[in-house]
This record gives sequence, C-alpha cells and structure tokens, in this order.
Amino acid sequence: MNGFLAIYRRELLSLWVTPLAWVLLTVFLLLQGVIFYSIITHFASMAEVSVDTGPVQAYFGQESIFLLMTLLLVCPALSMRVFAEERRSGTIEALLTAPVTATSVVLGKYAALLTTYALIWLPTLLYVVILRKTGVVDWGVVGSSYLGLLGIGAAYLSLGTLMSAMTRSQLVALLLTIFLEFGLFILGVGEYIFDPGLFRDVCAHVSMMGQMEDFSKGILDLRRVVFDGTVTALGLFVTTRVVDSWRWG
Amino acid sequence: MIEVSNLTKDYGTVVAVREISFSVGKGEIVGFLGPNGAGKSTTLRVLAGFLGATSGHVRIAGHDIAEAPRAARRALGYMPESAPLYPEMRVSEYLLFRARLKEVPSAKQKAAIGSAMDRAGVAHMAGTVIGHLSKGYRQRVALADALVSDPPLLILDEPTAGLDPNQIREVRALIKGLGGDRTVLLSTHILSEVEATCERAIVIDRGRLVAEGTIEELRARQNTKALSLRVRDPNAGAEAAIERISGLSVRQLSPDTADLARRTLQVTLGVGLDPEAAIEALVRALTEAGIGIHALIPEQASLEQVFSELTAHEKAEAGAPAPGGER
Repeated sequence: MNGFLAIYRRELLSLWVTPLAWVLLTVFLLLQGVIFYSIITHFASMAEVSVDTGPVQAYFGQESIFLLMTLLLVCPALSMRVFAEERRSGTIEALLTAPVTATSVVLGKYAALLTTYALIWLPTLLYVVILRKTGVVDWGVVGSSYLGLLGIGAAYLSLGTLMSAMTRSQLVALLLTIFLEFGLFILGVGEYIFDPGLFRDVCAHVSMMGQMEDFSKGILDLRRVVFDGTVTALGLFVTTRVVDSWRWG
Repeated sequence: MIEVSNLTKDYGTVVAVREISFSVGKGEIVGFLGPNGAGKSTTLRVLAGFLGATSGHVRIAGHDIAEAPRAARRALGYMPESAPLYPEMRVSEYLLFRARLKEVPSAKQKAAIGSAMDRAGVAHMAGTVIGHLSKGYRQRVALADALVSDPPLLILDEPTAGLDPNQIREVRALIKGLGGDRTVLLSTHILSEVEATCERAIVIDRGRLVAEGTIEELRARQNTKALSLRVRDPNAGAEAAIERISGLSVRQLSPDTADLARRTLQVTLGVGLDPEAAIEALVRALTEAGIGIHALIPEQASLEQVFSELTAHEKAEAGAPAPGGER
C-alpha cells in the first residue's frame, strides 16, 4: 500500500509538471468547446425541442461520436509514456528493485492516469452550469453521463497502460493503443451496419456510442458497467504479468 | 550478507553468467571485478532482484530472493549502472519518493533524506531539477537514493563511472567511510578502484568466476615476477652474465648511454622458476663477473597484471571467443 501511494503521487506529479497533461488538457477543452458550441447553436436555432432531447443529452449521447473521437486521441496520449519511458530511460530498474510488488506499481501508475483523466473532464462541468443559467438541467442525467465517460476512460487507459508496457517506445505504444481502441470503437459502429443476429448483438454490447446513448438518458445498464470493468481489470491484470515477466527477459 | 550458489543467468541462447558461487560477509567491502561484458551487471541485477536467476540460489541478508523477494530488497540499497533518474523531479522530491517506496517511516523520512544528501554531497542541490544536474551529481543522487533507507547492504554498479578524478576520490572516500557493519559490493572494471576501496575482490570473466580473495592473495597469484637492477658495469658484461642463468631474460631500462657506472636493467623470471633460487644465482653470477650491485628491487605485481593474466588464461582455455557481450 505504501508503494502504491508513493507511485501514485510521483506519477501525478510527473504528469502535471511536464507539459503533457497541460497540452492534452488544452487540446481536449478546445475540441470539447467547439463540439459544445455547435450543439448549443443547433438547439438555439430549433423552434421546438422534444422532451427527451436537449443539449446535455445531445452532447453526451446522440452526438457522442465527436466526444469519443477526442478520447481516442487523448487517452492513448495520456497513457503512452507510463511504462515505455521508464524502460527507455532505465528508471524501471530503480523502481523494481525497491520493495514494491508489481501490482502496486501497475495500480499506482494507473490510478494516476485515471485521476488525470477525471481532472481533464472537470472543466466541462462549466458547460452544464452555463446551461442551467438558461434552462433546466437533469442532474441525474449529468451524473450518469459522467459515469459512462469514466467507464470508457477506465477501459481505454487500462489498454493504453498495457500497450505502454509492451514496448520501450512511446510512439509505438501510442500507435498500438490507437489501433486497439479505434478497433474497439469501430466494432461498436457495427451495430448500425450488420443485419440483426448474434454479431450485431455483440457489436451493440461493446459499442461505446451505445453506452453513452444509454447513460445520457439516465439508463444505468449493468451490462455496460460490467463490460468496462472487465476490459479494465483484464488490461491491468495482463500488465501486472508483463511487469513480472521482465525479470525473466 | 550475500550468499550466491551456482547462479546461472541466460538470455535465451546467450549465457551471461554461469555457475557462479560466492559469499560476502557482514561489514565487508568487496569489489566485483571483470572486463566489460563479463556479466558483472547481470549478476548484480540478479542480486538486486531486478532479474530472475535461470538457476541457482541467492540469499540476501538471510532471505532467499526467489521466496522472499520484498524482504530481500528491503535489506539492500541498489545503485544501477548509469544512475537512471526521473529528470522532471527535484532532488529532494525524488529522494522523498524513494524513501516512501522503501518504507522509511514517515516520521523519519526528512532526517533520512537529509543525511543521505549530506553523505552523498548533494545537500546544496536539494531544490534542483534532476534534469539540470551534471553527470557527476546525478551519480551522487543515485548514491543518496541507495543510502536513503539506511540499508545494511549496498550494491553499487560502477559507482564511479563517468566521474572526474576529484569526484572519484570523493566517492571512494565515501564508500570507505560507510564501513563499519555495512556491507558493500561494488562492481568496476577499473582495478585501481578495487585496490583503493576494497578488502576483497571477486573476479569474473565471460560469466565465470575466475578468482576470489583478498587483494594480497590475488597479487600472490602472479606467476612471472620481475626485478629491476641498478648496477656498476665497467665491462658491459651484465647481460651476458645474467642470460647464462637459465630462465632469466634481461633488457636495459636506462637510456642507452655510455655511463656504464649507472645502468638500470630489468630482469624477467621465466614461468615456473623458483624466484628465491633465481635471485641467489643472479647475485652470485654478477659478483663473479665483477659487477657492482647498487640496488635490486623486486617488482610488485600490480593487480592490473594479475587481472590480465587471469582473464587471458581463461580465453586460452575457452579456445574461441564466447558469444554474447554486455547486456
């Protein structure tokens, strides 16, 4: 536990004293701002709005493809250096010869990434505050939407951590993660392409867009949570094994 | 403190370390010596728990590193080769991180970091970002890291590599000063380092242990010995007189001058010759030839010679150069 906390704190410090987190934050907020602005202007020009849709639902739900595209960029960039850089620079040797377990190393680093991810989303709460000034906001929907985003981020960052442990090159880690997560994303798009059947059901289950559409309506589907949790746990488990395997390289 | 038995480590097909056994007692300062690519770093990485042994056993402070890895790692301070550090952290931040990682109780962390920085001579750099430090200072920060948990055993992989002569002297003094009941195992390919800091040396070459013992014991392994001789030699007959004794060869060391009253010669004793009998015969022959002996100085075998002989011997035995190098 000691090791976990020490690594978590160091990793957070490292993320925020180097430009990486700030660059990602800036790019992310810029993109979100554009998306949010276009959604707002779209709704502002509409004469009638049905009960079930609104800017919040559109932002997190129907139009979530834009939001997910930015995550496909931000998450891999956030996780790419987490192990690759330690191995390239050799600091991993000092880290693994301290009395810590591979599990605390992996979890400490991962928790720092997830915290940073949450911090990057934090300023978008302002959008909701702005909306509240002019209309009614369903806080339940806001809450479930952020929960959905946290789930997707958790899964993406876990896969990114695993890819970063696979290579000494940050660039390779970044590309591998983008391929993997884009593949997962495209699989979800299959829901709209394939004929009804088992494959389409599978696609619908793993669809990130489907997840956001459900969560943005306030539907907390346990299957979605289980899927995110499984991907996260699997990624972290394999990463732990990979870290352990370095001793035998 | 360290017990190694039949340790073998291979990287796939390349055997980096084979069947090494040695032990290091409490309070000893031991040099781990070998040419580049001999398997020094690999061995130390296994001892520090960074790499797993292919076969064999290692016990650190009584804990088997395979069965109780964390207890073993808790007992040692390890300084990896080339001192890798996080460039974005400040020196004090880094040492605080390492102290937490090494389970230094939070009440003692501040004092532990302070004393480690003092000992390693980086106290005045506490607030500096590591990326801005020179190579010498980084090396010292890594040393402070090894000291921060005040471990009974230090394993230092080439602690003076890349330092300037003044810094090397300081680091050596520091290592010697650690002494007391603290055990130190340091690797180096510089022999004078072992002579300056260690009581005992372990020599490995091509992954095999070739010699082990105190510095004196290693010196005594020197086979060929040499003498330097200063003579008054009016008839220039010294060479002829010496070479008449079987097993001795001679060459003139002083520049070729006509000053026959002060010649300096070097006499090399052949392999397998009894040095005492040879010196007796040499003195008798010179006296009989009417040559005056001013000085006869047996040349101390430097560790350098012992080392090159040990490793050259091994090469001849192996026949062909073995595959593999520094990993």
